Amino acid sequence: MLFLHEVHKVDGRKADDFEQAFRKGLMPALAKGDDARLLWYTNHAMGSGASYNVVTITAVKDGAAWERLALSFQKGSLQGWVRDVDGLRHDARGKLLLPLHWSPMQEVDWRAVPTDGREHPLSLYMEDTMWPYREQYLRYIDTSGAAYSKSLEVADPFIKIEAGFQPAFGSHLRREVVLMQKILKLDQLRHLLTHEIPIAQRRPGGWMHEALVLRDQWESRLLRTSAWSPLY
Amino acid sequence: MTMLFLHEVHKLLGAKEEEFEQAYRGGWMPMLARGDDARLLWYANHAAGSGPSYNVVTITAINDGAAWERLALRVQKGDLREWIDGVDQLRYDVTGKILLPVYWSRLQEVDFKTVPTDGREHELSLFMEDTGWPYSSLDDYIRMWDEIYARPMSQAPPEMRILDIQACFQVAHGSYQRREAILWQKITSLDALMHLLTSDLPPEQRKPGSYMVDALQYRDQWQSKLLRTTAWSPLY
Repeated sequence: MLFLHEVHKVDGRKADDFEQAFRKGLMPALAKGDDARLLWYTNHAMGSGASYNVVTITAVKDGAAWERLALSFQKGSLQGWVRDVDGLRHDARGKLLLPLHWSPMQEVDWRAVPTDGREHPLSLYMEDTMWPYREQYLRYIDTSGAAYSKSLEVADPFIKIEAGFQPAFGSHLRREVVLMQKILKLDQLRHLLTHEIPIAQRRPGGWMHEALVLRDQWESRLLRTSAWSPLY
Repeated sequence: MTMLFLHEVHKLLGAKEEEFEQAYRGGWMPMLARGDDARLLWYANHAAGSGPSYNVVTITAINDGAAWERLALRVQKGDLREWIDGVDQLRYDVTGKILLPVYWSRLQEVDFKTVPTDGREHELSLFMEDTGWPYSSLDDYIRMWDEIYARPMSQAPPEMRILDIQACFQVAHGSYQRREAILWQKITSLDALMHLLTSDLPPEQRKPGSYMVDALQYRDQWQSKLLRTTAWSPLY
């Protein structure tokens, strides 16, 4: 299974129309077939980053399904839709992702993905994108699964890794890891934002210390799902 | 089935330049040739003196989406995992995008039987790769390139042409930036290129009705790269 990750730089004056285009247009259009499903529609939370940025993640069954999708956007049934949507955004940047070998999300059962726009509470994700050192990429993938993700397996966790990805060959950057993490405890997010990292975590044995052998560059985004996002 | 074109820009470690080239000549190209999924088409250096240092552009043809997925899985966890990790040690990074030929592109499919895979040598050639980012719709931009750029260029007398437009691509959905298109053009007259580089645009090309003025309705941002194929690049 492939995961299509897109960052849409939306025209602020047309943000509502843009959201409707996905809710009423793309999501049900994909639901008519078996090739793909929109999973997440999220807004980059205002006050924490770029304005009017939307991140969507769409699951695509396989390479042949992605080819059919790409052709429908180029010259098929979705050509008109994407042309209209381009009028609602400044641009979109996409990447095709594969699940990491330890990712909790490997396959998606279409039957578990709502496509009717049903509403629910909003939720907040921390999407972390990491760029490991050149010589540590493969080790980072393994270690983040063995050490970081394991460290979150506690009784009452702050966040939960729902998926971990790497770019599929030929799309976007080669050396990158993306974690889609649902925030379960907002009070701990507040603590994280307002306190320095505890000394213990910066000493040998702590992930923040040990991981410096593997990478020192990453970016976190706080993404808030819309009320109708299929997954949340 | 539609042929896909994998476009990669490799930012090399300067001291590893020759090793990197050898990895493609002795590794990637023959490895792909053992199967039917893909072929390396072009291996080109961004000409020194015209842009960033130690930049290599490669274009690989891939049979279809299923073939690309097989290749991606081999790279992620199959027989190519270690090979590509070795190549990663020779470059700072690589940026990739998967392209589709636009409706009017001369290059649509590649017959793999016509693509050399043995590293045979030939003269070098120079390409001008133009990447444009329109403010018009992408479809209108691609049509404009056909109607007021490519067709007039193809109808000009050979001695008046600076280049031969071999292919035009757009980004396949989701693999990179949405609103972008690429012209892949072989320089056919170095004299004309030198004239272009050393002369201002003549006044007649700055008037309504000229390409340079009319195309401003569609875009004002593009980037040209001068790419020189290696002596062994399969296509050149």
